Amino acid sequence: TMLKGMTRLISRVHKLDAGHFLHTGSQAPQNLAAHLDNQVPVESPRAVSRTSESDPAKHGEQHEGQHYNIPLQDLKAVFPHGLPPRFVMQVKTFNEACLMVRKPALELLHYLKNTNFAHPAVRYVLYGEKGTGKTLSLCHIIHFCAKQDWLILHIPDAHLWVKNCRNLLQSTYNKQRLDQPLEASIWLKNFKTANERFLSQIKVQEKYVWNKRESTEKGSPLGEVVEQGITRVRNATDAVGIVLKELKRQSSSGIFHLLVAVDGVNALWGRTTLKREDKSPIAPEELALIYNLRKMVKNDWHGGAIVLTLSQTGSVFKPRKAFLPQELLGKEGFDTLDPFIPILVSNYNPKEFESCIQYYLENNWLQHEKAHTEDGKKELLFLSNTNPGQLERLCAYL
Amino acid sequence: MHRFRIPWSLFPVFRHSLRHAGTPRAVLVGSSWPAKMAAPAVKAARAWSGLALGLRNAVLRLPGLTQVRWSRYGPEYKDPHIDKEYYRKPLAELTEEENYERELRKTQLIKAAPATKTCSVFEDPVISKFTNMMMKGGNKVLARSLMTQTLEAVKRKQFEKYHAASAEEQATIERNPYTIFHQALKNCEPVIGLVPILRGGHFYQVPVPLGDRRRRFLAMKWMITECREKKHRRMLMPEKLSHELLEAFHNQGPVIKRKHDMHKMAEANRALAHYRWW
Repeated sequence: TMLKGMTRLISRVHKLDAGHFLHTGSQAPQNLAAHLDNQVPVESPRAVSRTSESDPAKHGEQHEGQHYNIPLQDLKAVFPHGLPPRFVMQVKTFNEACLMVRKPALELLHYLKNTNFAHPAVRYVLYGEKGTGKTLSLCHIIHFCAKQDWLILHIPDAHLWVKNCRNLLQSTYNKQRLDQPLEASIWLKNFKTANERFLSQIKVQEKYVWNKRESTEKGSPLGEVVEQGITRVRNATDAVGIVLKELKRQSSSGIFHLLVAVDGVNALWGRTTLKREDKSPIAPEELALIYNLRKMVKNDWHGGAIVLTLSQTGSVFKPRKAFLPQELLGKEGFDTLDPFIPILVSNYNPKEFESCIQYYLENNWLQHEKAHTEDGKKELLFLSNTNPGQLERLCAYL
Repeated sequence: MHRFRIPWSLFPVFRHSLRHAGTPRAVLVGSSWPAKMAAPAVKAARAWSGLALGLRNAVLRLPGLTQVRWSRYGPEYKDPHIDKEYYRKPLAELTEEENYERELRKTQLIKAAPATKTCSVFEDPVISKFTNMMMKGGNKVLARSLMTQTLEAVKRKQFEKYHAASAEEQATIERNPYTIFHQALKNCEPVIGLVPILRGGHFYQVPVPLGDRRRRFLAMKWMITECREKKHRRMLMPEKLSHELLEAFHNQGPVIKRKHDMHKMAEANRALAHYRWW
């Protein structure tokens, strides 16, 4: 009897016309009928996967699951660093950058639109399993804030600052701490590209003496500090520290809104893989960059928001299956971040999966003949378990 | 654990005395050095003891040819049918023969399906064979990842070319990595091969027509050897392989040159063709 029921279901699936791609699997026949009514008509497949609304501020519930286009010049200006490497490859291959609008990002956008800049900065933490789209959601938020003319403080991957650092210098400012000139100078370069227009507007409120010959006067633009950090690599870490301090102090004044976006924030608490010359391990507090960043992530300033992402992929000494904030941040991190809004980023739902496949089909990315068929789609769904990262990797070679 | 040494006289001599090998031999408890040679003997003996003696030996054994790879399955084991469409056909639609076949298979013994053969729509036997040939030390995970990275690299390169080309050229550029792979290997297959034949104490390279399987094997073997040896130390296999596959697709490159060299050698040794007796 079970076999007869299965064959009846299968013949019903075969009777659907080619447009209805949804994977029905083990759904009961009543749900099938309801599903057919709710489906978007396939006469215009572009309507399912793409939207012409390229301003993130106007994205709403109706755009969920659809891809919106980011012009390539904007991409270079807003994201000099921070996009996942596979996404960069995809942008290069397709000659266009399309991000999918998803629920966690929409939720965050709603909160950001209603931020009260007089209250202390709210911390939002995007968490989820590997490959679910936390970094790209963060990029969506950053694009929105860039369009709204906020100042973006984007640290693309905090894990890069706690592992594989070659040159560690003893900090000139504080003898106990260590400098990372390379990482700091790279970050300053990218920060400059992203926030050109603010660097001349914001004025420094203190005099900073770099060495016997160079100093930055009070009232000079922040751009000078950044230049100093880029040219004099030895002082790059201190320059970063100054930038962070000034921005935190002045964000309350109301000239600009500050968005602090850190990817892989669980690197700030925990352990590092770095060692001193005498092979003794270095704790994250002893790195000047991490120390200053921790001050930034505390919610004792107002005039902006803090959006953080947890990441197990680049983390050190954390088990592979860990994705919850408590597991990844550890006790210290969790207590420091304590009142935060957690936002779960999960795998694709059927509509988003469909939209993703449609997007790939439109760009002719799925070249395998069988990938266009029903069976092919079902198999992709099964193999990837609707995980966006896995799906992308699967479609890359199909 | 005892270590047994089995004297050579007790080993079954497969070539000539298949008749004697029906009885089970002394079972090894330890793993001594003749164990590697005795184990297949023991396994074969165990397999045979369940069957009629002499039946298995008589079937399809050419004189002078020894079976090197023994399978644990007897001849009554049938190959599994890995095809979703076959099993999806509703019972009403089956013809008489198919119905009979289905009923028959219910009573027959069937071998276990190998792990590499799936009913996936994306499966390709050529790609699987190539992956197996690329594999080293049983590391199938690495070989498969290299294969997928190669296909991805081929696809991305072709997309680059496509976007850079004009409208007429776009129609000619092939972007499917699987068609490129198949066509490239087909272009690399030699038509005629050389076989060393012993005549009068010397080995002569005699031109010989090659079978389908041998040609496919040679094409894949040449491709893999070329990519392993003639690349810069720091270059990764997917990059080199994708480059070679694209060149072979356009009938250029070192693998095609090797095929042509083989053809030229065969043409040069044309006079020795009479040494072939099959």
